[in-house]
Amino acid sequence: MYIRNLSLRHFRTYARLEIDFPAAPILLLGANAQGKTSLLEAIAYLALGRSPLTNTDQQLIHWSAATSGMPFAQVQAEVQKQQHTEVLEIVLQRSQLSNGNTRLDKRIRVNQKAVRRAALAGHLNVVVFMPGDVALVGGPPSARRRNLDNLLSQVHPEYITALSEYQRTISRRNALLRHLGERRGDMAQLDPLEEQLAQTGVMISLYRRRALAVLSSHADIFHQEMTGGAAWLRLAYRPNFDSLKPPALDYQLGLLPEVAQSPVDVDALRQAYREMFLRRRQEELRRGVTLTGPHRDEIRFLSEEVDLGTYGSRGEQRTAILALRLAELRWLQQQTGEAPVLLLDEVLAELDRERRKYLLGLVNQVEQTILATTDVEMFPEAFRRKTRQFEVAGGIITPVK
Amino acid sequence: MSNAAIPPAVTQLIETLSELPGIGPKTASRLAFYLLRGKSELALRLADALHKLVENTRFCSICYNITEQDPCPICADPARDHGLICVVEEPLALLSLERTEQYHGVYHVLHGSLSPLEGIFAEDLRVKELEARLRAGDVHEVLLATNPTSEGDYTAAYLITRLKPFAARLTRLGRGLPVGGDLEYADAATLTRALEARQEL
Repeated sequence: MYIRNLSLRHFRTYARLEIDFPAAPILLLGANAQGKTSLLEAIAYLALGRSPLTNTDQQLIHWSAATSGMPFAQVQAEVQKQQHTEVLEIVLQRSQLSNGNTRLDKRIRVNQKAVRRAALAGHLNVVVFMPGDVALVGGPPSARRRNLDNLLSQVHPEYITALSEYQRTISRRNALLRHLGERRGDMAQLDPLEEQLAQTGVMISLYRRRALAVLSSHADIFHQEMTGGAAWLRLAYRPNFDSLKPPALDYQLGLLPEVAQSPVDVDALRQAYREMFLRRRQEELRRGVTLTGPHRDEIRFLSEEVDLGTYGSRGEQRTAILALRLAELRWLQQQTGEAPVLLLDEVLAELDRERRKYLLGLVNQVEQTILATTDVEMFPEAFRRKTRQFEVAGGIITPVK
Repeated sequence: MSNAAIPPAVTQLIETLSELPGIGPKTASRLAFYLLRGKSELALRLADALHKLVENTRFCSICYNITEQDPCPICADPARDHGLICVVEEPLALLSLERTEQYHGVYHVLHGSLSPLEGIFAEDLRVKELEARLRAGDVHEVLLATNPTSEGDYTAAYLITRLKPFAARLTRLGRGLPVGGDLEYADAATLTRALEARQEL
């Protein structure tokens, strides 16, 4: 698949943008703060239904639109698939309520039809690689969970639905735990929420386990290739709650994707989940938070028995994150039958010559890669000749002759 | 709103109006000045209606619906099936069910739904009172008619755990496709419910 046309209104630095892209590697050239990253962000926004850079949709609205009488932002793209074209659109509209608060409406349309966020899944797939991504390896677990959630959300609408239901139920349950802990009340109020969490939590955990098993084996292959066979890589899923122990299974899953596909006794998992809630109830009442479940899952990057998050050098972490991004590309391709769009923001600068060559070689495997850079010299002459180049300056894009 | 240019009586009205749900300070001011400028008898009629509302209405001591006499006409009606209790969140839901003229049991109004995030818990609803009615006597069926929202579903699921020990049969309002609707435009959640609740013919 590839982006045929992108249209932005009042999005970040763009007052107005309307541009056609070819099915080719695209180089966006320009100094910092001119709008290169915002353009990649807009495309990712349509694929994920949320920005990879911020949790606050409000920030996406162009500052002048925010202060003028038209506080809205619009992102629209025509996506060319193997057989057909699709039009995706997200509109953010801010309005002033009579009680003085503001309200942000988010409307998502697929082929002119209004849909929920979950229905966005599967229409546009992207792999995003940004300069800060190396921090994923050693950063907080929430960032690694979010990264995996973003990937699964691109393919499985039911995962998006389960995840948002799960999160809503967690905040409800936490509010209830605090109330019961402080003021007492009927404990039976917890039961329906725990049942709900057992249903959605087990499902989230299974999707994560399966995806990670496959991602891990792909990432391992890329990692070995990049290190000349010197080091294996494993993405280890450490579910916060797991009755599929012994822990050895965790290790096997990384090596044998087919193990992850084997049937799992979902009812037994749910039952174990309910029992865990009962066991930890006193502690949870005391602390007023839910301590068990996939919102506390951990994912680690292991290489040669070493945890790269804790002990990896900066260079090792870069190689690992590159291997992960490539594994995501392969995973999306397998799941959907189409190559995703590759969005690379200024990442060459962080890689050595060998890894640069390796990454640029992969550009041939997808229909469209959009690369943003301040320095065109970073790309080999032969590569540059294959690309279409655009100059980005002050939120205006012009093709380079 | 402590403006010397506006008499305290007006400010007080504005502040009181803006305590109502869905009414902010701007709407409250507009309403207040409308009442002030408009035909004076409108304000007086409103005051009278509000006065009567407070003086003459109360909750029915059996079903907690709003009523002018206790017990309410529904609870006092011997022609109704007092062994069948329909549980609703708000009096408005009761009115809608009454309009169908198809329901001949009695009601129980919870006055809300469980919503921990908004600080509404079981003890804030009329749940104990419902249990007392079941304990007191011949109830053969409880029909749960909470709203098909996530709060409504949560409330229903909670009531099921609370009411199970009683002998009464527990039922739930059917859910699915709206009459006069179009399958094509039904959302996935509604269709899923309709599939789950499909009926043998």
